[in-house]
Amino acid sequence: MKKYLYIYKATLIENLSYIANILLGFINFFIMIFVFVNLWQYIYSDSSQIINGYTMEQMIWYVLTTEVLWYGSKNKVLLQEISNDIKTGNIAYNINKPYNYVFYILSKHLGEITIKLILYIIVGILIGLCFIGPIQNFNFINIPFVLLTLILGVLINSILRIIISTISFWIEDSTPFHWVYDKMILILGTLFPIEMFPDFLKPIIKCTPIFVVTYGPAKLLIDFSMQNFTQIIIAQLIYLIVSILIVAFLFSKGVKKLNVNGG
Amino acid sequence: MLMEVKNQIKVMFLSLKYNIMKQMINKVTFITNIVFMILNNASFIVQWIILFSLKDNIGGYTISQVVLLWGIASSTFGISHILFNKSFELSDLIINGKLDTFLTQPKNVFLNVISSDTSISAIGDLIYGYICLFIYGINISNFILFTIFSITGAIILASFASILGSTCFWIVKGDIIADSLVNIMISFDTYPGTIFKSTVKIILYTVIPVGFANYLPIDTMLNFNIMNLIYIFAFTALIVLFAFFIFNKGLKRYSSSNLMSSRI
Repeated sequence: MKKYLYIYKATLIENLSYIANILLGFINFFIMIFVFVNLWQYIYSDSSQIINGYTMEQMIWYVLTTEVLWYGSKNKVLLQEISNDIKTGNIAYNINKPYNYVFYILSKHLGEITIKLILYIIVGILIGLCFIGPIQNFNFINIPFVLLTLILGVLINSILRIIISTISFWIEDSTPFHWVYDKMILILGTLFPIEMFPDFLKPIIKCTPIFVVTYGPAKLLIDFSMQNFTQIIIAQLIYLIVSILIVAFLFSKGVKKLNVNGG
Repeated sequence: MLMEVKNQIKVMFLSLKYNIMKQMINKVTFITNIVFMILNNASFIVQWIILFSLKDNIGGYTISQVVLLWGIASSTFGISHILFNKSFELSDLIINGKLDTFLTQPKNVFLNVISSDTSISAIGDLIYGYICLFIYGINISNFILFTIFSITGAIILASFASILGSTCFWIVKGDIIADSLVNIMISFDTYPGTIFKSTVKIILYTVIPVGFANYLPIDTMLNFNIMNLIYIFAFTALIVLFAFFIFNKGLKRYSSSNLMSSRI
């Protein structure tokens, strides 16, 4: 465990030197928030209107939270590094080192996104407070519960990404599979809460990663209830255990399929 | 002059042919890239179905008109990344001094650079664009206008990306600004322009030319107006000239990194 903590810390310190680059990346975040705010303001023709249990303020805070999670946890390590290691054969060196490759990648990824995610959370809160105002009925006591689901959400998202990247063992390029996952989270998971979906789709969406990665933390932030928290945390734990088992299985199978030509 | 243009276009299409042939070496990757890009784009339909279940029209657009908007945006993106993919990576070539190979070739440097690479997934974008047109309701006039606007939109998008990329001849961190502004254009082009307020609209027709690449073409397809067509052509010609001008101006400041490279 100590070595992974060291990898995490080393990557985090390295990333502190690139804060200016992270800040320049905020341009895209601002624009997407701007587009979505305009869209929801148009849909909520009257700001006192309630759609499927959500006021306009709640809806914009929801979008803001999910976008923070999306932009703050996006990173090239999981999207490209595993695929590149497999494609170039570099993985042959990595799996022989005295660490578990999956945990190494996970520690590196978490080290890369920590500073970014914290900055996005701060900026997200500032945007929300300046342009929408505070969240109605928000209680500071709920923060640890929300943070716990947020951390678990980021962790599950990272493991799911690793699962997708291991597809490179069988098909050289896993990028197209990342696109599909990206769009599922981005379109269905960031713009609307589950309550906005047609009734027949709600149970299906609740079984997808959307529920544990984006909906869970955002829903608890804007409308906390102990019942929701329990439901979300149980789903997250199930997802976490199952995804770890899948990644371990796929990786052990994939490594056996690996064929690297000299060099 | 005309012969030179003809030759240049011939070289551009030869480059496209070899780029595609190169990528086809791995057929599974080639096909998955295209098919998954179509699926990737199609997922946005779900977003709009849900939005339209909350409100009958969004910014004066019906769902089929939004599908058409998506079609134009997708095929515009597709053509620009099939023919001029390097215009989106121009900043990297300039910053890292990778233009040397192109400078020694007896063809127009700017066109030679931007057409030197093809994004295979963009073929999926182009196909998806026409699928959207088919869903909207295809007829001969629609098809012709759609094709014309996809081409003008692609030229505008590639020129815009090239102008921003060329700023790296002067600005050190120009690549991040260039990437961000191109992403902004792509982010705006799939939402009806009418949901944005007037000041933003002015920006969308000037600083970020998504108005001329997507919004005006859609208006023209829905309610044909010859003046709109003239505006689109005039703007396309202007932005192309500006892209050539700024690249050639900046090229005089280019310094090589003595990187050994070749075009394969």
